[in-house]
Amino acid sequence: MIDLTAELHRYSGFDSFRPGQREVLENLFAGRDTLAILPTGGGKTLLYQLYGAITHQRVIIVSPLISLMQDQVSRLQYLGSKRVVAITSAMDFQERAAILRNLNHYQYIYVSPEMLSNRNIFEMIARQSIGLFVIDEAHCISEWGPDFRPDYLRLGKIRHQLENPLTLMMTATATQRTRDDILNRMGFTATDVKQLVLPTNRSNIFLSAKICANQPEKNEQLETLVKELNGAGIIYFSSKKQTEQIAAMLSQKTDKRVMAYHGGMDNQRRFLIQQQFMNGDIDIVCATSAFGMGIDKENVRYVIHYHLPDNIQSYVQEIGRCGRDQQPSLAILLYEPNDQYLQQNLIANTIPEEQLLRYFYQHPDQLQNNDAFRVIKYYYDIGKTVDQTLAIFDQAKSRRIGELNALIQYIYTTGCRRKLLLQHFDETAEHVDPEFCCDFHTDFWGNWRQFNQQYLKPSETDQGVQSTDWRQIIDKLFLLKN
Amino acid sequence: MDLSTLYLIFGDANQDRRAKAIKNILDGRRTVSNLYWGLEYGLLPYFGALHDFDLGDEQAAVDTLNKAGLATVSDGLLYRLSSRGVDQQKKLQASITPLNELATVAQYDIVRFSRRFIFAVQVVSEYSYSNNRYYPQTIGFFDDQLIKRWFIQNKQRNLSGYFHQLLQQFLSGLENDQLADIFAASLTGHGFSGLTEDQLAVQTDLEPTIIQLNWLKLYSRLFLRLKKDPETPLQLLLTGLIKPLMSGSAKQTFDLFVSARQPDPATIAQLRKIKLTTVYEHLIEAAIELPLDQFPYQRLLHEPTLTNLRQAAPVNVGEWQFKAAKAQITDLQFFEFRLFQISERKKGDND
Repeated sequence: MIDLTAELHRYSGFDSFRPGQREVLENLFAGRDTLAILPTGGGKTLLYQLYGAITHQRVIIVSPLISLMQDQVSRLQYLGSKRVVAITSAMDFQERAAILRNLNHYQYIYVSPEMLSNRNIFEMIARQSIGLFVIDEAHCISEWGPDFRPDYLRLGKIRHQLENPLTLMMTATATQRTRDDILNRMGFTATDVKQLVLPTNRSNIFLSAKICANQPEKNEQLETLVKELNGAGIIYFSSKKQTEQIAAMLSQKTDKRVMAYHGGMDNQRRFLIQQQFMNGDIDIVCATSAFGMGIDKENVRYVIHYHLPDNIQSYVQEIGRCGRDQQPSLAILLYEPNDQYLQQNLIANTIPEEQLLRYFYQHPDQLQNNDAFRVIKYYYDIGKTVDQTLAIFDQAKSRRIGELNALIQYIYTTGCRRKLLLQHFDETAEHVDPEFCCDFHTDFWGNWRQFNQQYLKPSETDQGVQSTDWRQIIDKLFLLKN
Repeated sequence: MDLSTLYLIFGDANQDRRAKAIKNILDGRRTVSNLYWGLEYGLLPYFGALHDFDLGDEQAAVDTLNKAGLATVSDGLLYRLSSRGVDQQKKLQASITPLNELATVAQYDIVRFSRRFIFAVQVVSEYSYSNNRYYPQTIGFFDDQLIKRWFIQNKQRNLSGYFHQLLQQFLSGLENDQLADIFAASLTGHGFSGLTEDQLAVQTDLEPTIIQLNWLKLYSRLFLRLKKDPETPLQLLLTGLIKPLMSGSAKQTFDLFVSARQPDPATIAQLRKIKLTTVYEHLIEAAIELPLDQFPYQRLLHEPTLTNLRQAAPVNVGEWQFKAAKAQITDLQFFEFRLFQISERKKGDND
């Protein structure tokens, strides 16, 4: 019998597991395929890292987040594993070839579902002995999930071709329907798989939303909040350009140290901003949803949404980045009526239009090697007619609009916000503290300054000012041994 | 980088310069036309020096200069610095003196060297604190591996002492604390995150582009210093950084052209299975890149064409248009015309 707590300490330095982690590991060590729904910040990475470390077996992690895969590699390296690599379409041919030639040197291999659908790469991976097959962000398998990716549908077959290795499917949020769909698509029945669903509720995060008349009013509100709110904060946007504009505005108008962050920035810049945020050298990051994966900052005190995320699942994931230290934290959603049109346009842009669809059905050769249209290619390849595919897309669009409306309903609700959020995941909130729940139970917007003083503690470690003197910098960088 | 700042730095008050060509020269877009204008403007030493940076839109950059009264702009995005533009240029150039150090960036991949160096500093810094829980940078698969290999080979060598001493000597040798601070802010390691160019710009009251150019200049200087030191434990970090003078294909063509059999361009086209015009382009590229005496102009510029060109050429051969030349010398080929311009320009430079 393995002493999991001792192993945890040995490999990670932690003394105790977060909720759910031990149960997942016990299932894996008992050889049971597992579906784990753990909230953001629940320590999903540690599960497969520890399994690999204890068993010395190879772990394949299928992850859809191509642009963030390198962050995941860094995170695993940060947690102490060194033989880690990611195979993504962002690599050039030579890099990929070199990695594939040396695949057996790596213990943890991240791969995107698109790469795994590539015959050559699949065969190289199939030659390795696999101890654990991990499907991260497993909700992408489900057409009922918000981020459906057709290559995820092949994972059931791929797993079978890999001779059914022990499998761990993970996601932060999934409704019952999504969970059923994940299992079904992977070729499991409900009895084959151990399911572990942790509550989505994060009781240390106070929920609030504010409807502004227009964008200038929203900017003003944001500025007022940022000037006074204590501690580190993340402000989320759906536009890269606006992360930069608002970061500049806030830097100018407040005394907070604010930086923008988005996936369009080069690696070095993203790295620096993450580091500065983690070290407390900057107070606020204005970011797109790309921000979060590579950071491990426990004391983020608030998350403000300047734009709407896609849906309630994404919202819950993003606000989950504050209060990982279990201390009181704050989620604010700022909204003005035009925001919904911005989001509707984003949805419309991600779903191909009828004209384009008909064009590709007439010229299927142009679907080859075009990543932007993999979804069309998927339906074309499985023999759907153009009208059937069109109907699927219409349905997807209505579904996403419906999800957006659910989020807008959350903003306009006149009841308890937590109750509404949890209903979405078929959960009920137990032991709600009306003093610290949401702006339905208390007059948050009339007393937010007091709330700030009472609950949001300024961080003691985040107040260092970095030296700018080169002599001090090099003295600090290198600890000299006498 | 801000292109309008670069246009100021690389502009001229006595010559209309092609904004597009200057951007392409700095970006290193290797076409015969860009190379030629690089030669003509004296910017060939900087060819490709800023390849790794996003340089932005040339029209917007030229408009900015125009609106600020720093340059006049004529058709085809030609610009010329005004007297105010020249004043501004002098100020900018003073903050990156000497400019010619940027030529090293065109010869060696200094950006890649700087990424390796900064990553190595992070690894050594954390190691000196015995910390193995940190987020490593990622600088591309091959260079990540290179740093890993380098560190394993050298970690017994008191690297923290070496880096401390190297930087102490290098930075104090600059005799300019602001430059030394700018360099140090590019580093990152244990408990120190480094700064982005815009954060540093606010602190120093310099433009972000000037910060970036200074980084390039300083890393070039550090690179050359290390290259001269056979004992440095950083040898491995200096490998594979030479940028070729010519494209591989142009070099193949040129090598064939000057080989023992001395084939003519048509034969080379057949041998290499490429178009004759491509062969000519390759030879022009070689003529531009090589010193005057290393290119056999006489094998390609024959009489009486050469004499005709000399007689018809205006004082400023660089600005001579092919159309005007062709009107005077009817059987003139563009290739001969361009080669003549290049040789005349190089003779002028040698004088």
